[in-house]
Order: sequence, then C-alpha cells, then structure tokens
Amino acid sequence: MLHRRSLLAATALGLASPLAAPRLARAQAGAHVIGTLFPMAGPNAEYGGIFTSGIQLAIEHITADKMLQRPIDLRAQDSQGTPQGGAVGMTKLANVDRAPYVLLGFTGVSKAAAPIGTRNKTVMINGGGVGPDLAELSPYFWNVIPLVNQEVQAMLPWLQAQKLLKIALVYVDDPLGTGVLSELKNGLPGIGGQLVGSFSIPPATQQFAAIAARVRDSKPDAVYFASYGAQQSQIVKQLRDNGVSQPLLTYSGGSIPSVQALPEAEGLVLSGQAADWTREDPVTKRFVTDWRAKHNSEPTAYHQNYYNGMRLFGLLAQGLEKAGKPVDGENLREEWLRVKRFALVGGEGVFEERGTMSMPMQINQVRGGRSQKIA
Amino acid sequence: MLFLQLLVSGIQTGAIYALTAAGFALIFGATRVFHVAHGATFALAGYTFLALSQAGFPWFLGAGAALVVAVAFGLFMDFFVYRPIQRHEGSFFTVFVAAFGMSIVVQSLIEIGFGRGFAVVASPLTRAHEVLPGLYLADIFWVAIGVALVMFGAVTLFLERTRLGIGLRALSENPELLRAFGLSSRRLSMVAFGLGSALAVPGAVLTAVTSGLQPAISAQVMLVSLAAAVVGGIGSLRGAALAGLLLGVVENLVVSVLDTQWSAAAGFVVLFAFILFKPSGLFGQAVAR
Repeated sequence: MLHRRSLLAATALGLASPLAAPRLARAQAGAHVIGTLFPMAGPNAEYGGIFTSGIQLAIEHITADKMLQRPIDLRAQDSQGTPQGGAVGMTKLANVDRAPYVLLGFTGVSKAAAPIGTRNKTVMINGGGVGPDLAELSPYFWNVIPLVNQEVQAMLPWLQAQKLLKIALVYVDDPLGTGVLSELKNGLPGIGGQLVGSFSIPPATQQFAAIAARVRDSKPDAVYFASYGAQQSQIVKQLRDNGVSQPLLTYSGGSIPSVQALPEAEGLVLSGQAADWTREDPVTKRFVTDWRAKHNSEPTAYHQNYYNGMRLFGLLAQGLEKAGKPVDGENLREEWLRVKRFALVGGEGVFEERGTMSMPMQINQVRGGRSQKIA
Repeated sequence: MLFLQLLVSGIQTGAIYALTAAGFALIFGATRVFHVAHGATFALAGYTFLALSQAGFPWFLGAGAALVVAVAFGLFMDFFVYRPIQRHEGSFFTVFVAAFGMSIVVQSLIEIGFGRGFAVVASPLTRAHEVLPGLYLADIFWVAIGVALVMFGAVTLFLERTRLGIGLRALSENPELLRAFGLSSRRLSMVAFGLGSALAVPGAVLTAVTSGLQPAISAQVMLVSLAAAVVGGIGSLRGAALAGLLLGVVENLVVSVLDTQWSAAAGFVVLFAFILFKPSGLFGQAVAR
C-alpha cells in the first residue's frame, strides 16, 4: 500500500526534477551571473515579463555571436515593484548570487537597491524607472532610459501648440509622481499654462470615481496621470467612465499593452524616447527583425531599453575578456568609463558621467490600440 | 454638487464592497474558519466571467459559470484543505497558512492563464451620464444597488426562515447541540462554504465590469472583507454588508475635505475607531470575560 507521505514525496520529486535539471545545467562553473530585479508578481508584474523578454533576445544574440567566452547565467529576483522588495532582492543578488551586473526597473526599487549594489560594487542598469533623482544615484547606477524630467520637457511644447494650458495631475505618491508634479509646476508657467489641480494617490488605490469628480471640478484642458502597472488602466477607465472627457496625458509608462488595448485609452497622449524601427543600422535592424519573428508584434521602448542593457554587458564583458581582466563590477565600470559610446538599438548610445544616456524624444498617441508618433 | 457626486460614487463602491465582504462574514460566522482564500474565490469568479465574456458568451452564462467555479472552489477548500487540518486539530495559524498558500497558487494560475496585466469586461453600463449639472451617474449604479438589495434580501430570508439557515446560524454556537437535533455540522459547513462563495460572485462580476481585474486582486478583496467583517461585527452578515457600504461612502466622501491621498486610508481610520471604541462592531455581541 502506498502511504500518503510516500506519495507526497514522490510527487514533490517529480515536480522538482524538471525544474532542478536546467538549474544544475545552468549553474556551470565560470558562467557570467547576471541578476534581474523586476516585479514578477502583483499589480506591476506585467512589466517584469516585458523587461525580461528584451533581455532574453539580447542573450540569444550574444550567444549566437559567440561574443563571450563564458555562458550567461540569468538569476531573477522578484522586486514586487516595492522599495522593500528591491532591497531584499538586491541583497540576495549581490551577496548570495554574487552578480556583478543587475538589470532593474522602477524608481522606488532602484533607490532602495542602489546603496546595496554600490556597497558590493555591482553595476545596476535601469531601463524602466524614470524618477528624476535616478540621475547621479551612484557611480555604479546607469540609466538606459530618459528620465521623467526629459519626458515632461518634451510634452510641454506640444501642450502649448495644442493650447492645452490648464492641466490637472493625478499622481502616485512616490518619487516618480512627485518628480512629475515638480516638473509640471515649474514647467507650465513657462508656456503660459498652470496646474489647476494635483491629486495624489497611494500606489495600491483601485477606486478612482471620487478622484474623477475632483478632476472634473478643477475644469482642466487636459489631465496628466503619473502612475504604473495595473493602476494606470484603472485610472484611464474610471476617469472616462466618470465623465472626464478631456485629453489624457502620461509618460512612457503608459506604453504597456494592457493600457493601450483599453477602448478608453483611445487618444491617450504619451511621451517617450524616439523609437524608430526603420533605422538601417545593423543592431537596430537585427533587433526589430528578430523581435517581430519571435513575438509576432512590434517591440516597445521597454524591450529596446532592456535589450540595450543586456547588450551593454555583452560589449563590456567582451572587452574585459579580450584584455584578460576579470569580469567584475569594478572592471565593468572602468571599461564603461573608457569606452562611453556603444552601438545599441536606436543608434549610438552616449553615456554622461552622471549615469544617464541622452536620447531624442517624441510624442505618441494611442490610435486603434497602438502608439503612433504625432510629434 | 461635488458632495452629492461623491456620495453617489461612495454608495456604488460601498455596494460592491458589501457584496464582497458578505461571503467572508457568512463563512466565518458559521464555521469560524478564517477563510483567507475567499479573495481567491472572488478572483476565480471574476476571471471566469471575463473568460466567457471574451469568448463571446452572453453575460448571464458568464455569471452562471462564475457561480459554478466559485462554489466548487469553496467546497474544495472545505473538503480538501480545512477538514483534513481540522481532523488533525490544526491550529488557527495552520488554517491561515494553508488558505494563504492556496491564494498564492490561484494567483499564479491566473497569471499563467490570463497574463499579469489588467483586464476588464467592457460594458456600456459603466459610462456615466450627466443627470444633473455636475452630477454624473452610470447605469451600473442601479445594477449594483439592485443586486446588493436582492442578494441580501434572499440570504436574510434563507438564514431566518429556513431550517437549514437557522442551523447555519447555530453552527458556530454549538455544533454538538445541532447533532442532537439531527443536523449534520459537516453538511452545514458545506452549505456555508457554498453559499459564502456564491455571494462573492456578484461583487466579482461587478468589479470585472467597473474597476477591472488583475491577478493580485485577492489581497485587496481580503483587506476590504476583513475591515467590513470587523466593523460590522464578527460573523454578522448584515453588519458586514452595512460596514462595506459605510467604508465605500467614507472613502469617497473624505475626498471632499481632505487630500485625495487619504481616500483609501479613511476606511481604515473607521476600522481603528471601531477596534478602539466599539470592538464588537455594528451588530456584534460584546463578550464579557
């Protein structure tokens, strides 16, 4: 007779084996350990999948090109999109996995992880967080995405041209939201506009009918919202459902599929880095062609950023391997400072000392469920 | 007019909160099982409705399928999770961890099946119209109120007028005495889980249509359910319903005098106030020790 305990043990073994085998195979000696610190569960988990898919394509290309002598071992930690999750995940990646290079996103996560990464001389690459204070966060923290101050600055001339001068802002109360608030407060008077209402919300809020009533009451020409994850879709839907008919504006965080697919998001205007998929340079062309073939869809700026973040590691580590130097955080940073210009998707990426990368910006509008450039 | 608008929005939110909290209160009231997986029941019901709506089925078939899935999950939890634990005299903490673990499993399954993003069932009923200058009202408001009234009326009648309902109310008080009257506590526990899980369905369907779903929604559902259960008085169905309504109205009205940041927190200020000044809740019975 088969006892229940034996049955449970057998089941556990059966479940564990297929998971354990690739793990054992991957944990081969001398692999380059790369960490990812993304939200993989909870209301922001959609971003984790998007960010990781960009990295996976870059690893495929690095491997196919035999850029590195050693394989890449990708270790993922779930940041849950929270500073606490970021600190715990970064501690594991730096101290347990000994990853010299970690890709991460989200402003709060980045700010919590940066001191831990800096202490351990771990290079951190941000391709998703846009809080303005992510510039100069640490000598080991580099951004491959324009920060939100650049995004708002790009939006202002368009608002002036459209005569949308009275803006109401719905913003999540964290470094991203307060960054947008500060940029709009300072930037709108310069174009003859004003912030007629600013409504802060906690990151977990899901009901926006009351906020819609306050927004309507402020009689704006347009409504800017600064949030992320599932909350963005809830804001768009509930503002529209509750009688807010003015144009809706946001930053590049609104470029995720679940927002753009909403019928209520039709006409949503969003800023973002220039994403020209028609470029003829070999890196961009290969990225776009292979992305379309693999996913049967158009890549987004987030896919581009994390592809670039991973490719950057490939280029830096290749240089170090050729020079016979160990691939650790300190040497990666030295190599980065030495080279500074890299062939990336979207053209040559030029880094500034403060850890930011300058990029041209564009204004997009959601039309028929897809972002289209309008300015 | 802003105050009236916020009051109307609050009643709609509160009606959905009341429907959400009632099932948890019924199950806890009858069985004293801290059914944390009630949030998972809600999520399963919502996503079943979503799947059938996306597949082109009419709404009543979607709601019917959601009802079947919710009741089946509630009974599964009773049979295969709580009873084995109780048979081995598992503690409250064991029950809590088992139910919490099950919620995580359900969340992961939903993520695998439906993705990790936001999902909503589009309906013209959610679009508000200006009924008075500055006052917007959507048809879903009347649906939410109507469904809440019908559901609570039916469940109250069942609990007060039927032998099974009265047995259910007595279950938490004295299971031994129930046996003396020829009632089976196991059967009654099954009814409690079935009915309590069924009560999650209207709230889940309305949420799928209004504020939308995401795989991690069960945590929010449990937060509301717990707050309403405590404010209403532990185990009291009408208390949980009234408290859900109160929380929704407070969350919305507070925005007229305080920063919008305080909206979600206001409900929990009410919760703390009850814990401090009326721990037995609106309809709970004070227990002298």
